[in-house]
Amino acid sequence: MSRAFSLSSRIARCATVLLVAGFAAAHAARSAESTEPPPFAPEPEGYWTGAMSGPVPETLKGGKVIHLEELLTLLKHGTVATVDVSNKPKRPEDLAKDALWLPLPQQVIPGSLWIPGAGLGTVERAVETVYRKRLSTATASNPTFPIVIYCHERCWLSWNAAKRAVSYGYRNVYWFPDGIEAWKAAGHKTVVAQPIEPKRVKPAAAKPKPSAPAPAGQSEVKPPAS
Amino acid sequence: MGMNRRRRRGWSAREALFTSLLAACILTFASPNAAHSQTTTFDPAHSGQDDTAARAQRWQALQKAVFGQRTVENDTASLITLDAPPRALDAALVPIGIELAPGKSVKSVWLIVDNNPGPLAGHFTFGPKADPRSIKLRVRVNEYTYIHAVAETTDGKLIGVEKFVKAAGGCSAPGGADDSEALKSMGLMKLKLLNEFSTSKPMQAQLMIRHPNFNGMQMNQTTRTYTAARYIRSADVTYNGSSVFHLDSDISLATDPVITFGFVPHEKGQLKVVVKDSKNDTFDQSFDVPAPVS
Repeated sequence: MSRAFSLSSRIARCATVLLVAGFAAAHAARSAESTEPPPFAPEPEGYWTGAMSGPVPETLKGGKVIHLEELLTLLKHGTVATVDVSNKPKRPEDLAKDALWLPLPQQVIPGSLWIPGAGLGTVERAVETVYRKRLSTATASNPTFPIVIYCHERCWLSWNAAKRAVSYGYRNVYWFPDGIEAWKAAGHKTVVAQPIEPKRVKPAAAKPKPSAPAPAGQSEVKPPAS
Repeated sequence: MGMNRRRRRGWSAREALFTSLLAACILTFASPNAAHSQTTTFDPAHSGQDDTAARAQRWQALQKAVFGQRTVENDTASLITLDAPPRALDAALVPIGIELAPGKSVKSVWLIVDNNPGPLAGHFTFGPKADPRSIKLRVRVNEYTYIHAVAETTDGKLIGVEKFVKAAGGCSAPGGADDSEALKSMGLMKLKLLNEFSTSKPMQAQLMIRHPNFNGMQMNQTTRTYTAARYIRSADVTYNGSSVFHLDSDISLATDPVITFGFVPHEKGQLKVVVKDSKNDTFDQSFDVPAPVS
């Protein structure tokens, strides 16, 4: 009797120690994570042409910055255009035929348009035409129609695209900088989207010849800084 | 011992059970990772059912693509330790460490970044001069992902471990400010021995290779166009003509790869590195081991 008693006591104590240790570990992991600084970049004058992934601004001139709760409220009211401007994975040239190339399908917030390229520092003219047209259709050409633009966390593409939408005259542009990561993290559903792109007449017909790297000392002619 | 006995006497089973239940309650209600907590912090274990299912499905698909009919077993014997940061701020340079427990012999190791479009970051095949117990390298991470390390033992088993990494955007991040500069110094290498030379012990070395490893998804800062893909396809490291490792690689390897590896020198000699890239350029360099005292 006493033996059984002591055994159950030992098991219970063991469980306590394990639980407490787990609890401490979970908290340690969390506090280690939260010590990271939230770095913000200042708003540039024009579009951001540097690295697209990195610290982004806290604000957007002419637009509103929203987080998950505000996004959910907007979506609940239904009359909102949501646009994902994430890049489309591009199979590298010369990738061996048998190389593993398995891009994941694009997961977006339900109802979103996926317009890759609309958030680049310098937007391709054809892409911009598509972007303008799609925004116009989605908002029924109403400049006060709310538009939500997002991509990934710490990603400038959506900041640029939102700024662009502001420049088109839309007065309710919402930038969701937390991106699809925050959406998924909160357990919300996503759907697979196909990219909306300009129709290419001859896709990559004129393939540029791979050029040899410039030999040391020979500097390349750079366009004058504007 | 005395302490122990006193505690045992003072703590009845009922008390212990109560305490553990209390701890369980605290854990459930206070833990930030509890399933029902309304936090936006990502937790793979408690994300939506769909997400968990999608991740498992992805890994299934990758296993099939990489290993065919062979099955990857769980690491029940703690053969592999995979080191990866839970969150990496620079998604273009995520440090990865693979440690293999001594004793079991391993033929090769795969490193797979599940959610990258090109998921296979590297496959190391070890030669007779290798000490495969520790490898370090840096990879690009496109979005939140599991990273898998799979070791192939000499008896033909595949054993895998995984780590979840929160980082996004590394595949489109530019390597540096100037592409033409990067191409000029391409192929230069450096080797650092991480411990004192000894003929009787395995050594660790750090190999640095200058190579932009452009993946075709990066933007040139000056021309604002996509930089053409150009990346390392393979690296061969030999010691006195005998293989240390062969690495098959792809676009998930970071710019200017830094690879830490182990080798068994036995005698003074030369470590030779031969790197081939996607434009069929070959770069090679030899390093004296130990380096002559200058």
